[in-house]
Amino acid sequence: MSDAQTQSSFIEVAHYQLYKSGQGAGGDTFLSQKNDSDGRVITVLSDGLGSGIKAGVLSTLTATMAMKFVAADMPIQRAAEIIMSTLPVCKERGISYATFTLVDIEPNSTVKIMEYDNPGYVLVRQDTVIEPIKNCASIERKNRKTAPQREAVVYYSDYRSRPGDRLVFFSDGVTQSGMGTKPYPLGWGAVRAQEFILEAVRESPEISARELAKRIVLKAQQLDCYRAKDDITCGVIYFRRPRDLLIMTGPPINPDHDTEMVRVFSSFSGKKIVSGGTTANILSRELGRKVTLNLRNIDPNIPPVSQMDGADLVTEGIITLGRVAEILEQGSRIGATASTERDRENGAGKIVEFLLDSDRITFVVGTRINDAHQDPNMPVELEIRRNIVKRIQMLLAEHYLKEVTIRYL
Amino acid sequence: MSDKIKVVVCSGTACFVMGASDILLLEENLPEDLQGRIELEGANCLGYCKDGANGKAPYVTVNGELISGATVLSVMNKIREIAYA
Repeated sequence: MSDAQTQSSFIEVAHYQLYKSGQGAGGDTFLSQKNDSDGRVITVLSDGLGSGIKAGVLSTLTATMAMKFVAADMPIQRAAEIIMSTLPVCKERGISYATFTLVDIEPNSTVKIMEYDNPGYVLVRQDTVIEPIKNCASIERKNRKTAPQREAVVYYSDYRSRPGDRLVFFSDGVTQSGMGTKPYPLGWGAVRAQEFILEAVRESPEISARELAKRIVLKAQQLDCYRAKDDITCGVIYFRRPRDLLIMTGPPINPDHDTEMVRVFSSFSGKKIVSGGTTANILSRELGRKVTLNLRNIDPNIPPVSQMDGADLVTEGIITLGRVAEILEQGSRIGATASTERDRENGAGKIVEFLLDSDRITFVVGTRINDAHQDPNMPVELEIRRNIVKRIQMLLAEHYLKEVTIRYL
Repeated sequence: MSDKIKVVVCSGTACFVMGASDILLLEENLPEDLQGRIELEGANCLGYCKDGANGKAPYVTVNGELISGATVLSVMNKIREIAYA
């Protein structure tokens, strides 16, 4: 892997949450935001004392304040003091209390973590758990009467993230799940939870942040005999290698550039789509690979797809891409991301699936125009390739937050 | 005759919009006497549309013989011609 790739990681932040059985509101709060001004990604998980609305108020206050204070560069110790002095006091218990785990990721991939009374986070790197050194500091509570007996200790740690890193953190609903049951009289525990996380990552090395968080929470719920005894929340931050997609469409204006096109195609390290009959023929000729058309599921509107070794998908060009733009447009209007039912099997629907599944998309567009398409007898509006690709680029960038580059040949 | 008649339908952009989409369904429209006699294949672009001398899209080849401006009927006629030659 090159250094350039090491530098650019995509940060996938996701969480999954279940409320304590019988509660209509949650007492754990998970917040995440990307600071547009400086590019930092700040995430907080807070667990309020008790459960239900009361805990929800405590954790929401804590998470919101922590997030705002850290985003405004307030020293965390000061932030923690303010939070603890602000939290309302529980009538029954006479204390005010909410835990938090705050993760502050800088654009240069430095990760700073502050933890207060949540179970310790789990950092998974290449199938093993890494434990950065934690420093601690105690927080002074102004009002000793409403403070918990125990001294408040905040743990700080930081490390430089690497692509593939997963940071997992959770409320005590996870570690205490199953408590009082025969197999786990003292609860699932941090060690077993850690083992479970490692196993899940080993089993599916590409598991998304969302899926991993969900699996952990559902496992904890299962240990609680499917009736969660506490709010169970898990957050996962996955420093994913960006998923690259190449769409090669159209023959180069100058046939001398065919070899350059083939070079770009062969050296690309992500998923590859060839969209265009002539384009496929050029690659087939230059690479000596056969292109076979698939005649199953013929769609009356969209030409059939083909197969070629080394390409994940081969489709026709203009009509298919035109439909791709339409699907993306519809999707952006109704906020849905899935292609419509009738496009599921055709080339356009397949391209859309690939697009939505990728982070960085590169179009290589050959600008030679097929004169046959300009024939006024053509029954449908056949657009110029460049225009369609530009439309798709705009849709992907604005409505689907993808990084799109176009290169013309 | 035991050899199947090979029908290749171009599915490039120009051909598809000019009617190849119908010809790809040829097997479903085959009269009884021709059923099982042909081998239908699609091609992503046969390249004929780049030269006006080849006539108009869509292009189909039947046992290598080019048909331009092809329709289900003209392709069928050609198949019949070969089948009963």
